[in-house]
Amino acid sequence: MSLKDLNRSLWVFHVNSGSCNGCDIEIVASLTPRYDIERFGMKLVGTPRHADVLLVTGPVTRDMEKKLKRVFEQTPDPKVVMVIGNCGSTGGVFYESYNLAGPVDQVIPVDVYVTGCPPRPEAIIEGVVKAWTKIEKQGEKK
Amino acid sequence: MFEMAKELFKQLFKKPFTNMFPAKHAPKSTVGFLKKVEEGKAKLNEPVPIPEGFRGKIAYDKEKCIGCKLCIKVCPANAFEYLEKERKVKYHLSRCTFCAQCVDVCPVNALVSTKEFLLSDYNKK
Ligand code: SF4
Ligand code: SF4
Ligand code: SF4
Repeated sequence: MSLKDLNRSLWVFHVNSGSCNGCDIEIVASLTPRYDIERFGMKLVGTPRHADVLLVTGPVTRDMEKKLKRVFEQTPDPKVVMVIGNCGSTGGVFYESYNLAGPVDQVIPVDVYVTGCPPRPEAIIEGVVKAWTKIEKQGEKK
Repeated sequence: MFEMAKELFKQLFKKPFTNMFPAKHAPKSTVGFLKKVEEGKAKLNEPVPIPEGFRGKIAYDKEKCIGCKLCIKVCPANAFEYLEKERKVKYHLSRCTFCAQCVDVCPVNALVSTKEFLLSDYNKK
């Protein structure tokens, strides 16, 4: 996979798999003029079929497990999966809930974990940079 | 009418509100750009200043810790693991919700909130 395959500008689909909405608000905040990630050619799209990147928030509730898998399969390859927030990467505050099928990496493969509860928009941008470097390095190897 | 003209004029000379972190636009090659930054040839823009009292990554001073387990009791996310042998704790960053209750409760101030928040990674910490 290289950046050429993804046509440089990353289109993003956001899946909420049972988050508290904190991270979702930060994702929207990074689209506001103050942070404006659209200057990198990124935008939120309405369907996974148009997306290059999946942003997953939340610890994956049992109800969302199948749906998350389906969204993952609907996203065309090559794709990048980013987990936003600590509850998606380890369970975070929901760690002892009876209703967890996750965390996310037990359901779908994850490329980048963005730490924070919620992470600041800059932390999300940093995660994107990490994802970007990963794709570029993979592209060089080929 | 005059009011509007004034506002228009002001907007014309205002700098954009966007904070250009970490670069104004996506560079041609991110790896190349980051290398340049390391060599000092390019500069990263600073993030938006963080407010007073911001709760970032918790810094843990192992020397100071007396192993009282109070932080384990108050932590809502169970981010501390007790090390039986050493009588110390281990802090798991990717479990923490940054509530700083442990900072308030620690009797010897072994835990402190830092301003560090750019913490994303390829693996969980
Ligand atoms: S990481 Fe924290 S803020 Fe984000 S969705 Fe989970 S609980 Fe909410
Ligand atoms: S800040 Fe809160 S969640 Fe994080 S380790 Fe301390 S008590 Fe636990
Ligand atoms: S509260 Fe402070 S002294 Fe007690 S175990 Fe935790 S870090 Fe150590």
